[in-house]
Amino acid sequence: MAVLDKLRLDGKIAVVTGAGRGLGRAMALALADAGCDIVAAARTRPQIEETAELVRAKGRRSLVVPTDITDPASVQAMVDATIAEFGRIDILLNNAGGATAGMGKPLEEVTDEEWRLGIDTNLSGTFYCCRAVIPHMLQQGGGKIINLTSGFGLRGGRDNFMYTTAKAGLINFTRSLAMTYADRNIQANLIAPGLFPHDNPAMAEWWRGGKFVPMGRLGRDDELGPLCLFLASDLSSYMNGDILALEGGGLSGGHAPTGFAPVLPLEGEA
Amino acid sequence: MVQQQFSLSGKTALVIGAAGPVGRALAVAMAEAGADVAVSTTTRSQQEEVAANSCANEVWALKRKGFAAAIDAASESDVDKLIQRAVAEMGRLDVLVNAHDLPFAKPLTEITPEEWRRVVDVNLTGVYLACRAAAEPMLSQGSGRMINVVSLLAERGMVNGAAYCAAQAGVMNLTRALALEWAKTGVTVNAIGAGWTEGMALLADEEARRKLERYLPGKRLAKPDEIAGIAAYLASDAAEYLTGQVVWIEGGALSHV
Repeated sequence: MAVLDKLRLDGKIAVVTGAGRGLGRAMALALADAGCDIVAAARTRPQIEETAELVRAKGRRSLVVPTDITDPASVQAMVDATIAEFGRIDILLNNAGGATAGMGKPLEEVTDEEWRLGIDTNLSGTFYCCRAVIPHMLQQGGGKIINLTSGFGLRGGRDNFMYTTAKAGLINFTRSLAMTYADRNIQANLIAPGLFPHDNPAMAEWWRGGKFVPMGRLGRDDELGPLCLFLASDLSSYMNGDILALEGGGLSGGHAPTGFAPVLPLEGEA
Repeated sequence: MVQQQFSLSGKTALVIGAAGPVGRALAVAMAEAGADVAVSTTTRSQQEEVAANSCANEVWALKRKGFAAAIDAASESDVDKLIQRAVAEMGRLDVLVNAHDLPFAKPLTEITPEEWRRVVDVNLTGVYLACRAAAEPMLSQGSGRMINVVSLLAERGMVNGAAYCAAQAGVMNLTRALALEWAKTGVTVNAIGAGWTEGMALLADEEARRKLERYLPGKRLAKPDEIAGIAAYLASDAAEYLTGQVVWIEGGALSHV
């Protein structure tokens, strides 16, 4: 099959958590564009209903399931509803997560509740979703799992503890998925998006428009779609346990400020 | 439609090292995605020349333009002429793939300084020469994609791999340095980290191959086209914000302890 034909997802079913806005919605729509039906799961019903409408406008089916990924029972109910409606799950996009209470605090001020919430939202939720979905993938003969990590999963952050710890945990969690299920045709990989302000001008301003990103700009939501599609498609059939980072070059540096560009001649040259 | 963002229609690419299984698959994948693709050998061996010509035939069979050239990738003048020819014959150069591959494995104490230099000259310095030569057209047109192919030996060591591992790791970090240097120019620099792939020279031995297959989490080697698919993304306009990355496609090999 020619390379571009492998990008079609016709007849496949994708569960997208955090599908109500931002990157989750952008990636859900990219998958729908490629022919996939979408289960939109998130806490806020009106937002996922809006996503579902956008999916249906592309001629694809969509199921709305309000879900709290930090609650295993809620996750199981979402997976059961998906199977009842569509009968299978080909792609699990674990996108839900983000900043939680306590982010921005030095460690000595972080409470037990804040710690648990940050870890539950950004690590345990993905565990619950994978645990509930994988039996169906095994029964079907395979599937694709896409987890969302971050540059903060690979590097530290000031006053940023739960998010960095959970996102780093997801990386090794995903490697263990690869070790465990690679021989049964499940591919589990990670996307590490850089700074994507979505449609939030306050975030864009907070990030100074990406001035400190080597490429000099922030990410655009529509840039995540193709990358997500690659990982959901047959084109990535041999990629497993790996990270695709889309972040404008920041991870190539990190030892000196952006723009650090010394010039030194070889010995003996004037 | 999102798939259309992967189209390379109207773009031109050059693959150095197209005689090997991964380089060849990358050239064909980009041609399938719509690019014109020129290819070259890594060294001036007869065997490589035949393989590069057959790769160019595949490109032509897809109704894409391109040519095959026999070069020594460690030769500055060969590389400069190759890039000039690619620009002259295809009109521009959008994508440079450095799939240089001169395999070599020996215990360190048996490696002669000449062998060491040759391995580093071809596998590392050759990539520098190609990036330098391609930078001129790419920087002046304000866009370009450089894609360096490395293997698992860029990230992990191997017994008898000292020279090859050192060169490969060099290419990996060259990738990051150039990505930063050209971050604001429209030229991105990434690497594809290819796992153990059918047709690789180190796997010619049947027993070595079987051992690896048992070790890998998925119990199988990559087919070359499974490595090549990412090129349709990395080379496309859709990957404009992706730079300085090593995209590993290795069937979970690096997940192994």
